[in-house]
Amino acid sequence: MGLFDKLAFSLGLKKREANILVVGLDNAGKSTVLNHFKPEDQRTSDVVPTVGYNVEKFKTKSVGLTAFDMSGQARYRNLWEAYYQDCQGIIFVVDSSERLRLVVAKEELDIMLEHPLIKPRRLPILFLANKMDLRDAISSVKVSAALGLDRLTDKPWHITACNAVTGDGLHEGIDWLSQMIKDAVDKNAQKL
Amino acid sequence: MSSDVLRPEEGGGESVVATGQDSDKWLTAHNDPVAGLNTFSSCMALADLSADGEIKLIIADLGSGTHNMKLKVYKGTQLSSENTLIDMPTGVITFHMDTTEPQLPAVAVASGSYIYIYKNLRPYFKFTLPTLEVNPLEYDAWNQARDDLLDVSLLYEILDSLRHEVGECGLTTRSQRFLMCPDHQSQQNFLDQHKGFLLKRQTVVTAIATLKKSYAEEEAISCLVLGTESANVFILDPEAFTILNSVSLPSVAVFLSVFGLYDVEYRIIVACRNGHVYTLKRGVKVGRPTIELNSQAVGLVRRDKNIFVATMDRNLHCFSNKGKRLWTQQMDSVISCLELIEIKSLNLRLVAVALEDRRVLIFKDKYVVDTIHMEAPVSAMLFGRFGREDNTFILVMKGGGLHIKILRRKARFAADDSSGLGPAAATRLNVPKKTKLFVDQTMRERENSIQMHRVFQHDLYKLRLNTARQYVRALETSSNPVSITQTEPLKLSAQVLGLGPTFKIKVELQNTSASSPSLGLMVVFHADHHVYNVQNSVIQVPMLVPGVAHVVETLVNNVSELGVADTVKVLVVKENSTRPVLTALISMPVADTVS
Ligand SMILES: Nc1nc2c(ncn2[C@@H]2O[C@H](COP(=O)(O)OP(=O)(O)OP(=O)(O)O)[C@@H](O)[C@H]2O)c(=O)[nH]1
Ligand SMILES: [Mg+2]
Repeated sequence: MGLFDKLAFSLGLKKREANILVVGLDNAGKSTVLNHFKPEDQRTSDVVPTVGYNVEKFKTKSVGLTAFDMSGQARYRNLWEAYYQDCQGIIFVVDSSERLRLVVAKEELDIMLEHPLIKPRRLPILFLANKMDLRDAISSVKVSAALGLDRLTDKPWHITACNAVTGDGLHEGIDWLSQMIKDAVDKNAQKL
Repeated sequence: MSSDVLRPEEGGGESVVATGQDSDKWLTAHNDPVAGLNTFSSCMALADLSADGEIKLIIADLGSGTHNMKLKVYKGTQLSSENTLIDMPTGVITFHMDTTEPQLPAVAVASGSYIYIYKNLRPYFKFTLPTLEVNPLEYDAWNQARDDLLDVSLLYEILDSLRHEVGECGLTTRSQRFLMCPDHQSQQNFLDQHKGFLLKRQTVVTAIATLKKSYAEEEAISCLVLGTESANVFILDPEAFTILNSVSLPSVAVFLSVFGLYDVEYRIIVACRNGHVYTLKRGVKVGRPTIELNSQAVGLVRRDKNIFVATMDRNLHCFSNKGKRLWTQQMDSVISCLELIEIKSLNLRLVAVALEDRRVLIFKDKYVVDTIHMEAPVSAMLFGRFGREDNTFILVMKGGGLHIKILRRKARFAADDSSGLGPAAATRLNVPKKTKLFVDQTMRERENSIQMHRVFQHDLYKLRLNTARQYVRALETSSNPVSITQTEPLKLSAQVLGLGPTFKIKVELQNTSASSPSLGLMVVFHADHHVYNVQNSVIQVPMLVPGVAHVVETLVNNVSELGVADTVKVLVVKENSTRPVLTALISMPVADTVS
């Protein structure tokens, strides 16, 4: 980080900026989550399955975020790793009503956590147990158990149940993530 | 019977070796050992029943075999609906029967003599198989029995002999049941109970499949293909439910594998109860015998150009579509079912074989590429898109358990060469495609074979004649280096020495006769004087004693300014004879001119 940026941050002239990666299986609700963070007038009423990826920008209380909304379809999942290098945080969205594919979600999470660009870093990961409004949905505790999060000890993580359509539970999650990113950015700035 | 019917030899094929520990290629998505299912592969189907992109699993549950028969629908891991079935199901398929929006697929359950069609999981239509003509003898026998003109044992005898004549499935169910009654009393009871009713001959469905009608798209309308106990195969129109085509086979269909389009061209491969496999084609009224197995089939799948058949004698056979056997593998255990594993993302088509010893082997061609160990023997398998996952493998256990596996995204199936079959067998020769020219040529050769043979023979005779003529001429002019005249048996060999322009020609003469010496011989060299200047063109030869070689030699100078090479004729002549005894033609080498 340049001297100017450091100065700008401490004077509050420049907002902290960070990239986050939004991943999860197809149909989990990633694009719907991001759609909710957009200003009211820019939201789309009809979210369609993402092809490849989309980039969305939005601001939170403490940082400005550039979100990479990846497609969760199996044939696009190997695109995720191309963005591992440049991200400061991850949102992992799970459809908590789709019990059949919880194993697949866990598998993809494990593959990601084992990746050399992710494994050594203390990246904050926000898990969203989405679609909690559906009848078949299981609790965030069960989602956490199904994903084996108890074994994830080398990274800060947080799980919250949410409904991406109404936005319930999303703010709690994103506040946690932006706080983590802000702390990390500030710590980095002090080091310099 | 056609010539490409193949009878596999007894006990053929290599034995399959069980490899390694459990597979790491699959994730276990769901395991319910007490799901209480009793079903077969033919009674399971996957379809997007509510057209919402989430594929449901449809299972016709046989219950206890007599009670509790249900049509169950699973949404993910949850049982989402149940419909009671009246009779034992023999097959379930899903198909599109119309093009109205939204395109909801219909479910067809084959059960007894009926096909029950469900739309939106509600009963929609019932198709009844056509009644068959009752054998007149059988009809009369029952009529007379009803009017007490025939007593029970006589009826039994008539029906029994009729059974031998027309076969079990040529009789009505009533006669079949009657013949099954063990003793006189039960037969009498049966007769009393049933004689008042009209005798009908109905058949039951034994196998069901779909055949796309005019378009190959996923949502296109399909015909139903039914195999029946009356040894027929019917093709049903999906809209009017009329029989579009009916084919009779020598035996009852057990497994059907269908591909193609009804309106264009199709093939129906039918494995029958007699252990034979037949192929039905568009526009043909009888099945073509394709394969003769030496045991009953327990599973049939088709992959690309191959037919895989598992038989009760623990063998897995692979045949070409024409019925040519490609290979046979013997399993260590009894095979319970087969399933095709089509992985579109890897462009792979594998065959899963469930064994009685709780293993599921996955074959890529003849190689085992994966082994799955289950807690119980598998009774039914289905692979396909389920929920939102493409590569889902659904297994139903003998004990009623439901197990769902999902293929890992990074799983790859490589043939394990260490399984002892060797890579050589796997490498296919890269035979180039036949060109049009090749085909035309072959056609021409096939059509004109007789003419071509005649032309060849004609030319061959001509060649022989020419050769004979030349030989005769050579003899007449003695232009050969070995004289064969009885009077002067001589052998001549010539040699050219030197690089030029001056050469030396050495001629060796030998008397090959047994005892008579040759007298008065001369060697004459003859050459174009523009090219060669021969030093001694005539050399006298002394008396030639039999067996001893005599050498004469002369220098030959190449005088040609162009440096061309020519031939020199060597003649052996006898005094007072007009004809030479021997002639030899020497091709001179090109001279190395020292310029
Ligand atoms: N009931 C309910 N539906 C939701 C919720 N979140 C998302 N959905 C629906 O789920 C469907 C898929 O949402 P998307 O946001 O497109 O999913 P995605 O993760 O972006 O999928 P891909 O882009 O294919 O990877 C949409 O129809 C959403 O309306 C939720 O919390 N509750
Ligand atoms: Mg999306």
